[in-house]
This record gives sequence, C-alpha cells and structure tokens, in this order.
Amino acid sequence: MKHELTRRSILRGATTLGLAAPAAALGWPLFQDDRAKLPRSLVVIYLRGGADFLNMVVPRQERVYELTRPGIAITEEQAVPLDSHWALHPALAPLKPLFEEEVFVPVVCTGSPHATRSHFDAQDFMNYAAPGDRTVHDGWVNRFLTATAGEGDQEFRAVGMQGLLPTALRGEFPVLAVPDNFESRRSDRVLDHFEKFYGADGKRRRDEEEDGESGEMGGSMDREPEEGIDVVQSGKVTIETLRRFKEIVTRAGDDDHGYPNTRLGKGLRRIAQVLLSGEGLEVAGIDVGGWDHHANQGGVQGAHAILLRNVATSLAAFRKHMGAAFSSTQVMVMTEFGRTVLENGSGGTDHGHGSGMFLLGGGLKGGEVHGDWTGLRTDRLYQGRDLPVHWDFRDVFYTVLREHLDFKAPKGFFPDHRPKRLKLFA
Amino acid sequence: MQLTVLLVGALALGAGLPTPQASDAPLTPRERAVHLLSRFSFGHRPGEVARVLEIGEEAWIEEQLERGPVGPAALSKALARLETLEMTPSQVQRHVELELPADPTREQRAERNRRRAVPKYELMAAVLLRAVYADRQLEEVMCDFWRNHFNVSYTKTYPAELYITEYERVVIQEHALGEFSAMLSASAHHPAMMHYLDNHLSTRPPSSSQLAEIERRVRQETGSRERGEEAAAIAAQRGLNENYARELLELHTLGVDRTYRQKDVVAVAEALTGWGISQQRGRGLGFYFDPNRHIEGDKKFIGYVLRRDKSGGPGQGERILEILCRHNDTADFIATKLVRYLVHDEPPAGLVKDVAQVFKKTEGEVRALVREVLESDEFWERENYRAKFKTPHEFLMSALRATGAEVTDMGGLLKALHAMGQPVYHCDDPTGWYDTADAWLDPGVMAKRWEIALLLAANKLEGVEIPASFYGEISEEVTPLQWMRGMVDKVLPGGASTRTLAMLHEVVRENTGKGDRPDLRKLGPEVLGLLLGSPEFQEQ
Repeated sequence: MKHELTRRSILRGATTLGLAAPAAALGWPLFQDDRAKLPRSLVVIYLRGGADFLNMVVPRQERVYELTRPGIAITEEQAVPLDSHWALHPALAPLKPLFEEEVFVPVVCTGSPHATRSHFDAQDFMNYAAPGDRTVHDGWVNRFLTATAGEGDQEFRAVGMQGLLPTALRGEFPVLAVPDNFESRRSDRVLDHFEKFYGADGKRRRDEEEDGESGEMGGSMDREPEEGIDVVQSGKVTIETLRRFKEIVTRAGDDDHGYPNTRLGKGLRRIAQVLLSGEGLEVAGIDVGGWDHHANQGGVQGAHAILLRNVATSLAAFRKHMGAAFSSTQVMVMTEFGRTVLENGSGGTDHGHGSGMFLLGGGLKGGEVHGDWTGLRTDRLYQGRDLPVHWDFRDVFYTVLREHLDFKAPKGFFPDHRPKRLKLFA
Repeated sequence: MQLTVLLVGALALGAGLPTPQASDAPLTPRERAVHLLSRFSFGHRPGEVARVLEIGEEAWIEEQLERGPVGPAALSKALARLETLEMTPSQVQRHVELELPADPTREQRAERNRRRAVPKYELMAAVLLRAVYADRQLEEVMCDFWRNHFNVSYTKTYPAELYITEYERVVIQEHALGEFSAMLSASAHHPAMMHYLDNHLSTRPPSSSQLAEIERRVRQETGSRERGEEAAAIAAQRGLNENYARELLELHTLGVDRTYRQKDVVAVAEALTGWGISQQRGRGLGFYFDPNRHIEGDKKFIGYVLRRDKSGGPGQGERILEILCRHNDTADFIATKLVRYLVHDEPPAGLVKDVAQVFKKTEGEVRALVREVLESDEFWERENYRAKFKTPHEFLMSALRATGAEVTDMGGLLKALHAMGQPVYHCDDPTGWYDTADAWLDPGVMAKRWEIALLLAANKLEGVEIPASFYGEISEEVTPLQWMRGMVDKVLPGGASTRTLAMLHEVVRENTGKGDRPDLRKLGPEVLGLLLGSPEFQEQ
C-alpha cells in the first residue's frame, strides 16, 4: 500500500508487549537493599529551543566572556565554582553537591557536526541522531528500544511524561505518552468507558488480519485496517498501560524530596516512583521548553535563570528520591545547539553551534568537567561566532548506551557515523 | 460467541454498513460527499451529506469559493459581541491598558493582566466560532492552514495580545483564499510577526564613532590596547537578529536547506533591518521603517544582487519577498504542505507537482491551488479516503459540527484544546502545529480525546449544549436499534465498522429493559459519547 500510515507497525508491535506480571508487581515497593539491583535505566531531558550552555557552565578563565556579554554574563563573583576552570550559573547551585559526589558531570562543547541553526532541523537531527539525514524518522532512544526488544518486555519499558512523546522516544517501539491528568478519577472513568470499544476483543480483530482474512463481516470499513487499526490499537494500548501506570504511582505514595511544583518536577517524581517500583522501566523522557532567548535572557536573575533553577532543583530532588538506586540510572540533559558567544542587541543570544550536556547517575568518571575546550578567541570559535563542537553528540549517546546500558550500537545505528567511545565513565 | 450474535444483530439491521468495496474501487457518491466535507470543511453538520448529494459536489464547491459574508446571522451576532475583534493594535492597547502607579498592588497587577488577556480570549473564541458555524467552511479550513504556515503565538507573551487580533484579520482572513505574495508581504510587515520572530529588534550595529568610543573606554579601563580592539570588534557584530530571516526562508517560502546558506540568511536579516513597530501613540502601532537602523548597501542573496533602496525606504526587503514568492522552491514547498494537509500525510507526488505548477503559473493564487486539488483524480482516490487522523482541533470542531452543538461560552472549549495540546494561536514553534498522524497519535493521547467526547455528549463541557432534538426519539415506529442506526448515520455518515456497531448494539441492549423503551436522556449521551470517541470518528 502506497500510503501506509507509518505508525501502524508500532502499534502492531505493541501487541507483542508482554503482559506477564513483573517481578515486583504484587503490590509492594522494593526494599531499600534491592533498589541498587534495579535494571539500568536512562532518563532523557530535552531542553527545547537551544539552551545557552555558555551561561550554564561558565569558563572562569576566559576574560573575554564578560566583555562579549555585557548585560547577561555571570561574573566571577556570582558564579558557583566547580574547579579552577569552571563554575555553575548560581541557579544551578543545587547541582554542586552532586558534582562533588561525583554523580554529575557537565560535558562542554558537544553538538552536531551539521551547520544548521534551525531549531527544528537541529532538534530532529539530534533526536534522530542523524545530522543532515532527512530520511531517518525514528528517535535514537526508540532505536535502542527496538533493537533490544524481547518477548519478556515489561509494559513500562519506556514512558514519556507528557501528552505527546518527546521526539527521541518516538518510533517503532511503543512508548507510552502519559497525559498530565492521568491521576484524576475522571480519567479512570473514561478508560472504563472505552475499554470494550478499543480493548476487549482487540485480539480477535488482529488475528483476523494476520491471517489475511477480513472476517465474516467483511464490509469495507473492516477491510481497511491500514487506517483503522492505528487508532484502535493506540486506544487499546492507552487503556491498558495508563491503568497500570496509575496503580504504580498510587502505590508509591508521595514523599517530599524537594521537587518543585513544575511539570519537570512532577514528571521526574513519577519517573522515580516507577523506576523504584521495580516494574522494569528502562527509559523515560521529558521535554522542557522555553530556552530560545533571543531577547531579555537575563543573567543571574531573569528568564534563563528561572528555567535553570527548575532544572537544578528537579534533578537534585530526583537524586535524593532515587537514593541508592541512583547508581542504576543515567540522566542526560541536552539541547539542540548552543547560542552565539556574543550577546545580541536585545539582551539575548542567537542560534549558535556548539553546546554542552549534563550526565547524572552511576558509573561516571566524576569530579571533573568533561569535553575539550579551546577558548573564546574569535579565531577559535565556529565561524568566528559560536562555540565549536569538539565532541559529536552521537559519541556521547554511543558511550552512554555502551557503558551504562551495555548496548553496543551496531553499524548503521548512527547512520554514516562511526562512533567513538569517550572517557566519560570510570 | 456473544460478539458474533451481536454482529449478526447489527448486520441484520444493515446499520450504517457500507457495501464492500475493492481497495481501488472508486468512491461511491455518498463516500465522495463525506470525503469532500471532511477535508474542505471542519466536518459535516446534520443533514449536510444529504445536501451535497442533492446539489452536487460542484455546486457545493462553487458556493464555497464565492466571496461572501461569513455565515449565518447567529454567527455574525455572536462575533459582534466580541468587542476587540475589529480593533487595530492601538485600539486594543487603549482598550486594555491600565495606567498603574509606580508601585502597583498585587490586585492592580492582576487586573492589568486580566484586561490584557481579553483580546486573546476574544480572538480564540472568534476562530472557534467561525470554524464551527461559518457557512464558508472551505475558507475556514484554509485559514487554519495559513495560520499554521505563518504561525505567530500568544506564548511569546505580551504584547502579542495587542497584535494578533489584527493579524488574524489582515493577514490570515484577508488572504486565505487570495494571493500568497500578498499574504507573505502582509505577514512580514505585521507587528505580530515582528514581535514573534524578533525582527523589530534586529538593527544596524554601532557606528564607527560609537565603536571608537567603546575601544577608547575599554582601553582606558584595562590599560590594554588589544582588549580595546577586541571589545570594538565584538561590539561591531552586535545588533543583527537572524530569527525572522531564517524562518522566512525555511518555513514561509523556500523550505529548509534548499538553495540558501547562512550568508543568505545574514543578507536577508541585514536587508530587513530597520523594519520595526512604530511606538508613538499618534502614529499607531503598525509597520514603521527606520532608516537609521537599516544596514545600507548592496547585498547578495541566492545569486541576486540587491541594490540599495535609493529612496531610503524598505525596498530592499520588499525585493527579497518578491524573489521568494517567484522562486520554484517556494512553489514546491507550499504545494507539498498543502497536499499533505488536504489529501494525505504522504502527499502523492504527481499531485504535488501539478499544484506546484499551478502555483508558478498563477504566482500563488490560493483559489487556483485549491481547485487543482479538487479537480485532481488523486484527491478522490480510495486510498485517501478516511486516511487522515484528525488533529485535536479538527476533532473538537468536527464533534461540535456533527452534533449541532450550541456554544454559549468558550471557556470549556478553550480548556479542552489546551488539554489536548492544540489551542489556537498557542504554538511555540514557528513551524505551526503539524497536521500528520505521526505528530499526534501515540499510546496515551487518546485518553484526553475520549474524556472530552464523553463530557461533550453529556453536556458537561462548560458553555456547550447539544440540543435534545439531536437525539430524535424511540417510538412505536422507531425501534431502539433503528434509533441507533440513525445516530450512527448522523455522526459517522461514512459508516461504522462491524465492531463499533456491535459494541453500540450491546449498549443499547443493556439499556433496554423487558418491554420497556430505553431512556434517551441516558442512552442518547452514552451512545453519542462512544460514537465521538470511536476509532472511525478520529479519521477524516
């Protein structure tokens, strides 16, 4: 069929999801000692809009930094020092203890080899881990899930904590998008209502199709599963998985770990709860928007600082909440590109090139800022204006998949790229 | 076992079951009418499929392409009640602005913010009301397309609220079925677009005397000549903001990565410096060209040499807009997007080519593009029938239309659209909302849609009421199952799957006691809620 809806295969795939009761599904949270034995997991936080990394991890030795950013620079007095070369934006101060604990490492001058300064391209290229290749349309995290999918997969192998999935999680492997009001009682009643419509005899219908028969009632509506089945299967998966998800977080109870009352804070709390439940969650993702500060970015205070504080307090609470099990997880914080070194005429910064990432979790080679740094002299900048890219973000992805998730990306996983293992893990 | 019984029951009624068709069989006349209404309107109203069959597709299309008033008197009356709708930005500003004391109280600030939000809610209400009630639906559908193409957003925050009301009127509605070039030009000049993509902030870098001053100051402060020179070199680069220039090329005209490079983006940004928003009250909040902020001189752009505007006006930027409108890449890009929106998520290549040809020939006459789609063979092919997943906006609009719902207050609808992630004029990204299934259909997203379907059917969506008459009646002449068939016909005139029919049949049976007629006040909303949440109703 020429115009096959591309997500059909995904939802087909969903039917192979194991519904067997997971080990810890019988109702109780794991004991503290068991938590460190949880399966390895990955949490991807995507900062949409091109976050200004240069104001997040500040190069203390670069005197030109303050000159280029007269209105927004974080001065030496204001910054929170990490070591003799690097300091954090003061709004990121809650991450300093994690740096000292060696469970948080910033990586500087990461990014894409592609020159695009378009958000939408750069986001896609990064989320698909295929810079410049417009034929790739599945998320890199989803490719990992697809490549490692097995019969025994748990229902909650992967979730996106938002109504529409983060791009890196979209693709062939079915990932649950958790709507923001999934905890309400009304949401329960809705699922009950449509259960039979989408779920009850879903199996029968699929079997018919797989046999290549349209069944005894072969009307034309029944004979166009290419279109119809997408919605039906999506509905079925929605009902089954949201119910289980809610059971798990209800069981977990809400201890206070200092999460801010933001979408990110709430999302990370739910992710921690499901991780700690032992239901087999391996991958979670959440997007945080609003980083495109072309104007009035602010310095120590202001728009950028508010967003940073949210990220830092959420991550610090997540670390606390996870306890010993933090070592089983890896949080990656990323963005599509950095911004111009130079502050623009409107107190903001424009789309740039090189950026940076945060890694938080177990096994890291901690206590230092990773990545190569070549300074801010104009002739060292990309096209004389942006941070350069010294580490391809795909190499960071590759390294995390390999070191943390024990997955060696096969040839072709990163199209046209032979990935390198970086020295990020101890 | 039970299912089979139910299926046979449903079948015996012949309820809404279309005759089996081969996958390449031409659409039946009824299917054609459903297809036409699902793509060129926000869905059928009660009785509308029958009307298209009666007057014929062509007459319906001609009716839609005529210029004329927006629609029924009730709609005009509802729109007239929205007091900021016809205002200019300056008028909106005068209407909502509140002079605050230097140190305002919390209440004063809250009152100011409340007033500032009024034009936003009124405009969102107007867009929804038109989509639901306007007779001229094809125009509303095209407005929706262009709104996403030339996206601006309230999420950019104040003063977007002052500008977008007029933007909808003079950019979107004015040109939705007109000329692409006129729409592009109108969008480029409008304060809403400048504010959204920062073009009014883009400006000529400091003059040489200003630079000399910077150099002197830094040299004095640091005692280093090198540092002074560096500071001046850096300052020389400040001022230009490329945001609008890039999206103009990438999203509004040529499409990404075709033809242009970074240096072209810079050339466009430079040519567009000086374009701004006049601030003086006497002049009104509108387009204003400031020669003092313009970067003068000839510029090179995708192989063209742009001479400076000798009159000292914005001519260089205007020239770029003309070049872009006539460029083949623009024709291809718009054609691809339009065919994707109107026909299929994976637009048929032949049709895209034909529409692009018409774009080139007519220099982007929108009516001609729409006709080309309607008169093509591809549009009417069976594989395009019910092949698109409704976006949340399309879902809600079509539900209101199919049920003949009366809207008295917009609060509930706006909340519903926020909850489903697609409130009008609130798309952060300059791409606008995507209209493909890929962008919307993930496990989990159906939950919200069902909730809204049930609320709507139960008349629990604030400000929305489905008239009792919509449900008809069950009587001596009309059995419960015949009634059900009628409901299916009303909501899903293209027919329902045997599975859906069987489920509805079961619901009807559960509600029918021995010898008693079911209570339609209970059964009606229940069946309607299920129909609106059914898989079939999500397709168009």
